[in-house]
Amino acid sequence: MQSLNLRLTLAASLVLSIFLGLAGWALDRAYRASAETAVREHLQAAIYGLLAAADMDRQGNLSRPEGLPEERFQRPGSGLYASVINAEGESIWQSPSQLGHQLPLPSQLPSGEWSYLRQASESGGELFVLSFGSAWELGKRSLQFTFSVSEDTAAYNAQVARFRRSLLGWFAALALGLLVAQGLVLRWGLSPLRRVERDLAAVESGSQEALTGSYPRELRGLTDNLNALVKTERARLTRYRDALADLAHSLKTPLAVLRGADKQNDKAQSLEQLVKEQTERMSQIVDYQLQRAATSGRTTLMTHVAIAPLLQRILNSLAKVYAESQLTLSLEVAEDVLFRADASDLMELSGNLLDNACKWAKQQVKVSAHIETEGNNQTLLLTIEDDGPGIAPEQRAAVLTRGVRIDSSVPGQGIGLAVARDITAAYGGKIIIDTSPTLGGAQFQASLCSV
Amino acid sequence: MRVLLIEDEDHLRTQLRDRLKTEGHVVDMAADGEEGLYAGMEYPADIAVIDLGLPKLSGIEVIKRLRSAEKRFPILILTARGRWQDKVEGLEAGADDYLVKPFEVEELLARLRALQRRAAGWTQATLQCGPILLDTSAQTVRVDNQPVDLTSYEYRVLEYLILHSGEVVSKTTLTEHLYEQDYDRDSNVIEVFIGRLRRKLDPDNTLNPIETVRGRGYRFVLERGS
Repeated sequence: MQSLNLRLTLAASLVLSIFLGLAGWALDRAYRASAETAVREHLQAAIYGLLAAADMDRQGNLSRPEGLPEERFQRPGSGLYASVINAEGESIWQSPSQLGHQLPLPSQLPSGEWSYLRQASESGGELFVLSFGSAWELGKRSLQFTFSVSEDTAAYNAQVARFRRSLLGWFAALALGLLVAQGLVLRWGLSPLRRVERDLAAVESGSQEALTGSYPRELRGLTDNLNALVKTERARLTRYRDALADLAHSLKTPLAVLRGADKQNDKAQSLEQLVKEQTERMSQIVDYQLQRAATSGRTTLMTHVAIAPLLQRILNSLAKVYAESQLTLSLEVAEDVLFRADASDLMELSGNLLDNACKWAKQQVKVSAHIETEGNNQTLLLTIEDDGPGIAPEQRAAVLTRGVRIDSSVPGQGIGLAVARDITAAYGGKIIIDTSPTLGGAQFQASLCSV
Repeated sequence: MRVLLIEDEDHLRTQLRDRLKTEGHVVDMAADGEEGLYAGMEYPADIAVIDLGLPKLSGIEVIKRLRSAEKRFPILILTARGRWQDKVEGLEAGADDYLVKPFEVEELLARLRALQRRAAGWTQATLQCGPILLDTSAQTVRVDNQPVDLTSYEYRVLEYLILHSGEVVSKTTLTEHLYEQDYDRDSNVIEVFIGRLRRKLDPDNTLNPIETVRGRGYRFVLERGS
């Protein structure tokens, strides 16, 4: 299901209809039960009235109950009927209301017992029938009579139907009201999402830099990350565009050299040599610019990278590559050093610096790293030392740009250090070259800041 | 030596094959990962050159499968992207060295020689066995510090025997691992070569560096070191 609105509406409506249905059913049941109890109590009261009004003569005949408690017993067709049968099952008395109505005779009941049932009437309706067996003592004789009172269900049915109608009416109004309320709540509750959508569209179309509105707390994580993503994406785009421009621009020099090669009269340099040099240079330019475009630099979306395992992986790899030189590669990094950065940036940086150290080292290369915290800012200090010849102070600045300067035409120089410098710059840091105090060779200290 | 070359770029593959053959190596080629894995499993390679970006089966995967099948020959990976991520993954998968494209063929050959030597347990570019000194980078041989003039095939036979010193190397192995253009595999020319090599290295018959193991092949018997 694609729409949140639809989802919520459907779920809430389902719950609402189940609730209203169950409540209606329970109310209806309870109402009918109580109405029927009322009918039964009424019938019982009528029987007691009859019993009180009836009298027995000396011959054992039941005298006609006169002065009946209910006016309806007198009115024919009133819907309330009474009859009395004797032990032989013969009707000995019927209420005047039964005139013209043929009601089934009640069955005999032992004395003191009640019977309540619903019975079909001859007119197609239904009757509530309450019967009571009673014994009359006449000297030594005991005479059995069964008093029976019945009431047409029409009144009861009409009452229940009335109740149901009104119940339905109320519930319909309630359901409608709740649905409208739910719709409003949903609209109100989901409105920040619609706002985000609108703002995103604005960002997409370029009329807005970022999602700037104030959003509810639950959405802020999402919008903040979206903003970070937008920012990262934009930075990446700029980086690619710059790299592409730089790439095109810097390839022009070697291309110009090659194009002019056929007109070159100076035979000091053979054409073959020239092509080799210039293609190598072009290859380096491509590598360097690609690398620059790939460097992600500081973004807010980065995770913590464990430094020690990352450096260990590189050292293991270099140990293989430089197996011939039998170098001692040592790692001095605490296991718990974590730094927020792009893992591949860190890998590129340390790989290039360590590779360079291994290239120059006689026997030893040492890498150490630690974090300096200053307020919210963290700085990763990565120090790589070797016991090689070291770098003279006046060459130190040039070393970091060799191989990539537009005017440099010295082939065979790696671009590794220039890449390392660019990566540290992307993290607002720098590389400081010094003499290793312990190993005596070169020491490269790269600092990277995270926010 | 016998080189397994897995590279999907046709131009580079043929170029490398031609060069490796000129250098006297036997070359098995494959243009994709599956084919390469098959060749690596079936042919007795001494060394492999594997491009990382292969179709069908990635170079990393080929290396992992070769290594898990107990193939111990050195592997050099070629990668177009110079990313450390790729290099480290390749080396962790079981490769021994890497080369970033584009590269000089000379560089590749030097790396292959070094890997081959390392695989045999030599850390130096020069192999010294008694009075015999083999310089693998210059591809020259000296006996008692006197240069010995060997043909390229003779040199390769000697290098192979020294790199497998102590092991019996059959004639079939030699023909399978060393390429000689004019060489008829069915003939007994290999005996002629060994004979010539013995005479050049040991004219007075005092050293006996190469032993004949009857019916099985040859064995280089001089101990390492001077």
